[in-house]
Amino acid sequence: MLNATLRILRKFDLLVIAVLFLLLAPIISMDRSIDFMIFCIFVLAYDLLYGYMGRLSFGHMLYLGVGAYAFALSGEYLSGNAFLALLIAVSSGAAIGLILGPVVVRTTGACFALINLALNQLGFFLILVAFSHWTGGEDGMSASFKKIWIFNFSNRTIVFCFTFVCLLLVIFLVRRLTNSLFGILLRGIKENETRVKFLGYDTFAIKMAAFILSTTLSAFAGALFIINYSYVTTSFIDPLRSVEVIFASLIGGAGSVYGALVGGVSYKLISNYLPNYIQRWEMFLGVILLLLVFKFRSGVWGYVVDFINRYERPAGESKSHSEVSR
Amino acid sequence: MLLSVDRINVFYGSARVLSEISLHARHGEVVSIVGRNGAGKSTMLKTIAGFLRPLSGGIKFDGEEISGRPPDQVARLGVRYVFQDKRVFTKLTVRENIELAAYAAKVRLIDAIDLVAQVYPNISMFLASKAGGLSGGQRQLLLIGRAIVGSPRLLLVDEPTEGLAAGAIEEVLKALELLRDEVSMVIVEQNLSVVSRFADRVYCMKEGHIAAELSDPADVQNQAYLETYL
Repeated sequence: MLNATLRILRKFDLLVIAVLFLLLAPIISMDRSIDFMIFCIFVLAYDLLYGYMGRLSFGHMLYLGVGAYAFALSGEYLSGNAFLALLIAVSSGAAIGLILGPVVVRTTGACFALINLALNQLGFFLILVAFSHWTGGEDGMSASFKKIWIFNFSNRTIVFCFTFVCLLLVIFLVRRLTNSLFGILLRGIKENETRVKFLGYDTFAIKMAAFILSTTLSAFAGALFIINYSYVTTSFIDPLRSVEVIFASLIGGAGSVYGALVGGVSYKLISNYLPNYIQRWEMFLGVILLLLVFKFRSGVWGYVVDFINRYERPAGESKSHSEVSR
Repeated sequence: MLLSVDRINVFYGSARVLSEISLHARHGEVVSIVGRNGAGKSTMLKTIAGFLRPLSGGIKFDGEEISGRPPDQVARLGVRYVFQDKRVFTKLTVRENIELAAYAAKVRLIDAIDLVAQVYPNISMFLASKAGGLSGGQRQLLLIGRAIVGSPRLLLVDEPTEGLAAGAIEEVLKALELLRDEVSMVIVEQNLSVVSRFADRVYCMKEGHIAAELSDPADVQNQAYLETYL
């Protein structure tokens, strides 16, 4: 019975996800669910690097911020067309990935994490101080766009529907990519890059593609945040906020599209509702992180998968196959 | 000449690990490298495969200079490395492990699986299993099978029987036996019975240089004689 249900759920997973997000809106409010969906896009973008390729970044807010500011600035200085601004934001995300990638993707481990943090810090101060004349510095700037056909982004229902469609498209794209050879290569690089090279692959090109894809989707999420809030401030590029996406990845379970969605929604639920009950709610996040590190390394979704695998494995089948024994 | 290594010197930092090494392998030949732990056998294979760059000397593969080329370029020329320690991608499924090799070699997955099945007949039972769940012997068979996808011209095999039980060693040796007429091999091995069974020629390494080259079949098959070089 469970097996049949799981097969159906797997087959129509995008539909199931869509229904769950639609059900979320009346429960937590439309505004919050828009915020949740955009954050999930950001977590999906982040998870491409962290979950699939094994590169932990401490400065991913830079790429979100680039998209957010590119979107707002093009609205302010170029045109009031939100779609043109969105195109510019996404292109900016790809461009920054292309420019920084050759340096960033050559590094691994702590170096990768810290180089992203350093670049994020640099970007933050450029926006805050050097370009404050255009960006509004600490005060930020508002962003408003004219109505194009049915797309009036001052209407919350339109923003909700637009974000909803964007989320489903991003899920579809990321799922297709991670289920393809590209995804296998990323997981291979995560496990041992040298061995992937010995098979004849140019791993630099693969890592560049993943990095650019991640920065582009992050910038896309940044632009969607500005559609939702209609203003941009330095909080959208603040390196301290990179911890949010890291937490979300860890809570949900890295290296899985579903894990990223579970993590994104869980983190947002905690950060939206816990402050109502616990004043210093961030301490609770610290406790969760400790639990994740010591007890639940594969996150919530990882444990769901483990449970399903245990249930699906026929009785008597051993974990290791040993007709050739060691 | 398929592989020709000419007086290479390799360093780990300031320590010289390979000193004036020269060796060669002809088309269809199985060459074995023996020596004690730390003699530089695996370093030799890693240098040929492009993982380490020699400070001086040259390596030619089928007449083409490959010394200092990155591992992916060397692999694309038809040189495959079967790792020591049965290092498959443990978190990928067996099918995905083969798929990586198949795409790199521009071979259809189904054909690649058939190729692997030549050396690992039960492979189809485990295609959906995580490779990390395979036993040591199964992993070694998968590695050898994966390495022959795309008809390579040279296999570099690093300690294929190390850490395996007798039954598993026999399975691995059968797999190598099947391949010996199809592909040239350079096998690093400490198990002298394996060496005398497979090798056409043997290089004995000691402290980073070649101490002897044995090409007389009587010498190669004489385990007691080989042991004097360990």
